[in-house]
Amino acid sequence: MTRARLWLLLPFGALALVVLLVPLPFAPAPVTRELTVVARQFAFEPPVLRVNRGDRVRLTLEASDVVHGLHVDEYGVDARVEPGIARRVEFVADRAGKFRYRCSVSCGPLHPFMTGELVVSPNLPFVRAVGLTLVVLAATLVSLRRLPPGGAPGTT
Amino acid sequence: MSTQTPLQREPHDRVGAARIELTRSRWLRATLRSRAFQPALMLVMLFFFVAAVLAGLVGTPAGNHNFAIVFVWIVWWALLIVVMVPFFGRMWCTICPIPGPGEWLQRRGVVRRTPGRLRSLGWRWPHRLRNIWLQNAGFLALALFSAIVLTRPDVTAWLLLGMVLLGVVLSVFYDNRVFCRYVCPVGGFIGLYSLTSTIELRVKDTRVCMDHATKDCVIGTPQSYGCPWMVFPGNLGRDAYCGLCTECLKACPKDNIALNLRPFGADLLVAKGRRLDEAYKALIMLSCALLYSAVLLGPWGWIKDWANMATFAGWTTYAAGFLAIAVLGVPGVFWLIALAARTAAGVAVPIRRLFVDLAYSLVPLGLTGWIAFTAGFVLVNGTYAVSVLSDPFGWGWDLFGTRSVPWRPILTEVVTVTQVALLLVGLAYSVVVAYRIARQQTASEAQAWRGTLPVSGFLCAVTLTFLWLYLG
Amino acid sequence: MTERPTRTAGRTRGEIVALAALVVILVGFPAGVLLYQFVVRPAVADVRTIDLLARVPETGGITPETIKVAAGEPVRLRVSVPDVTHGIAIGPGLALDLGHVDPGQVKEVRVTFERPGRYTVYCNVWCSPNHWRMRSTILVYDPARPDAALPSDAPDPVIESLAARHVDLDAPHEAPAVPARPFASERGARVVDRLGPALPADLARPEWRRRHSPAQAWARLVAAGLARDEAWDAVAHLWVGALDGARLEAVATLFRKNCAACHGESGDGRGPGAAALAAQGIGQHGGAAAPKKPAAFTRAGSMLGGTSELYYAKVRRGGMGTGMPSWGPVLTRDETWMLVDYLWTLQFRPARAPRV
Repeated sequence: MTRARLWLLLPFGALALVVLLVPLPFAPAPVTRELTVVARQFAFEPPVLRVNRGDRVRLTLEASDVVHGLHVDEYGVDARVEPGIARRVEFVADRAGKFRYRCSVSCGPLHPFMTGELVVSPNLPFVRAVGLTLVVLAATLVSLRRLPPGGAPGTT
Repeated sequence: MSTQTPLQREPHDRVGAARIELTRSRWLRATLRSRAFQPALMLVMLFFFVAAVLAGLVGTPAGNHNFAIVFVWIVWWALLIVVMVPFFGRMWCTICPIPGPGEWLQRRGVVRRTPGRLRSLGWRWPHRLRNIWLQNAGFLALALFSAIVLTRPDVTAWLLLGMVLLGVVLSVFYDNRVFCRYVCPVGGFIGLYSLTSTIELRVKDTRVCMDHATKDCVIGTPQSYGCPWMVFPGNLGRDAYCGLCTECLKACPKDNIALNLRPFGADLLVAKGRRLDEAYKALIMLSCALLYSAVLLGPWGWIKDWANMATFAGWTTYAAGFLAIAVLGVPGVFWLIALAARTAAGVAVPIRRLFVDLAYSLVPLGLTGWIAFTAGFVLVNGTYAVSVLSDPFGWGWDLFGTRSVPWRPILTEVVTVTQVALLLVGLAYSVVVAYRIARQQTASEAQAWRGTLPVSGFLCAVTLTFLWLYLG
Repeated sequence: MTERPTRTAGRTRGEIVALAALVVILVGFPAGVLLYQFVVRPAVADVRTIDLLARVPETGGITPETIKVAAGEPVRLRVSVPDVTHGIAIGPGLALDLGHVDPGQVKEVRVTFERPGRYTVYCNVWCSPNHWRMRSTILVYDPARPDAALPSDAPDPVIESLAARHVDLDAPHEAPAVPARPFASERGARVVDRLGPALPADLARPEWRRRHSPAQAWARLVAAGLARDEAWDAVAHLWVGALDGARLEAVATLFRKNCAACHGESGDGRGPGAAALAAQGIGQHGGAAAPKKPAAFTRAGSMLGGTSELYYAKVRRGGMGTGMPSWGPVLTRDETWMLVDYLWTLQFRPARAPRV
């Protein structure tokens, strides 16, 4: 990589760092949310749960047809639920972003694809990823504008 | 090809610079030249193939505990899209056991070179089908049934058996690997995405081939068969249709064939050989990665019900929507993008030419999109493989003591980071490729750069859609 | 083609190896797998293995439907499940519950049936709208007298007695009066203490209470001079007194596993099974009659007009054309009485039903 190109990309690197690290203001007071999730073959109702960071989530889990389970990625929640016997799960939504919850008990053919989404606002990972995409796109286009002729991708 | 100012800076077989010839290694050269090389690998794969078919037919119908589902759609698929295609191109085609029975019957031998010509009726493959349109259609047809095929062991088994049978039937009528080259629904995209791979088979010096009268690699020698993929290595400019079967390495009396290590994506810039069927493949694959991410990994149960054929009307709607997006919607938008690119660049290239050429810029993002999609379920369901290894048929066996390993998603915290990283690399790479392709059609760099802008917008929109599905 | 003999020989050897490998892979390997699973494994087993395949009734239920075992013969029951999670248990009176068996899972249990009789393999997890049909039978015979009648086929004296008195199990039994305020069995305990010997003698006898409805007992108490609310509290106390502690915990589990899917965890008749039955029109009377929904044990009118022995008989006989299965082949008589007592708990002190 030429020195000139390096200088060119430096501002974009800085911009990327800003996008990744800048704290964004967000401060609704945490509340306790009573939510009910009903599992059926092969979906959760509601499909998307929206809470704010810091909220205490009290989930009542029900199954309407056969035995299902609930595994929430990265929240360590794992519960088995059978029709007629509601389960209660409680956790504090202390991490922001989108986390999938999945059925953890084989429940039929499409079981591996039985998922729902827990969206903990502010969804900073998504916002930052979008920002980073725009930075990467801009950096790529700008570097192409100044590209000396004859270079090929994969060769730097 | 009608380009305004064709700027082929390099000969087509030497696009890019760095190549490392792997076949300089005596050991590797000897291995590849051994007649046993390909059959040995195929036989090993055939063992797993038979295990998958057997498990699908007589094992438990519970897919997550059946070798057929777990080892075909999780383990094989992940190895294919994450390791084999990006790094080794068509290496899967080297070891794939599916065409084996047909090929061996046709050759009347597994390892040896049987004298004389192949035993088939020797029909000629129709000219109109000498492309990958059949493969495009086959892939789409399978995609419509993916929720069924991916989850039912018996359906998977019958599909695998059906492919072998089709291979055998075709080998009765036609010489060589007509099935692999023109029919196999997986082969089409492996070929297209192999353009990015870091491995290539090429001749060392094209002039040697031009001067070589007997063309042993095409017609065969006592030690080798003529190219089963019906390719002339001397003319080979890109990876798409070389099945890496290594017959030409065994044939070439001038030792002019090499296996090279090369930079990612080099073949995407080879202008010769770009065709509408391949361009469509690039668009279909991109659409399917998005659609699968939404249908299979998304939270919407009603789409899954449709895809799962809960009702016929639902599935019909799903199929119509799927095809409308993959065959008309996305290609239609991309056609407009090509139009915009032409206007922005101010060139008079035919729009169809630009549409086809620029579609190859979708390959890097398509590939990383598929890898991102795969990352979304492989680490989650990988533990099934550990348990299925011990109990492949779901009969309560415990071969290696791992049957009771529970299902547990692993490394979910790195999945999204990986997905974002992959998509951004794919985006940047696609933009660079788009620029270079545009540069082949324009007189100046400024024109090419302007022409790249609409394509970049399209690529960016696709990336953001992926991000929304995975993170939003 | 000209080939040197030495090379041909070498190639032929390679070809033979490849063909041998091909035969092993295509024929030997599958044959070996099937032979091992279906011939070798059963042959080397130390005891007789009975393979039970448990599926939703729509695709076959529990098979085989009938198994004959000699009393005292050790057997291994191996349960596999292809579709959805089932709970496999065997009753009555065996305390044999394999728990959940998930799809693709194989669970084994070694058992020896000591006493001859007719036993039922049943599913105790709601698994389909026809879940309640999911049963098969194990006939345990006396090896000394293989043709003797099985003891568990003897008629149930309570149901016999009801029939002798021409009690129609399916007749409506609405209570003439229902309480105006929530029950308080604790208050009822004080009322009964206060009454002491003044409590009508019949009401103190468990046998009388089994044959009479709470509404009848209430009428007696009101006739004896108690205020209406006080009388209900006393009835509540008398009807739930027997069930507490470990027994309550055990019967609550029994209820949740076998009844809650339709009747609801709280007994309100609104379990997910109720909705599934209604949606599919399964197990409901034909004709003009209103569809029969699962009973709500929390509803005072219908509950307080019925007697324990009536509910006992209904549970053991089943709903006759509704989705209510017969529990006689599954539960012991003792368990059935406990279950009836639990139903009173749901009616009289709903808040105190144990929760998970």
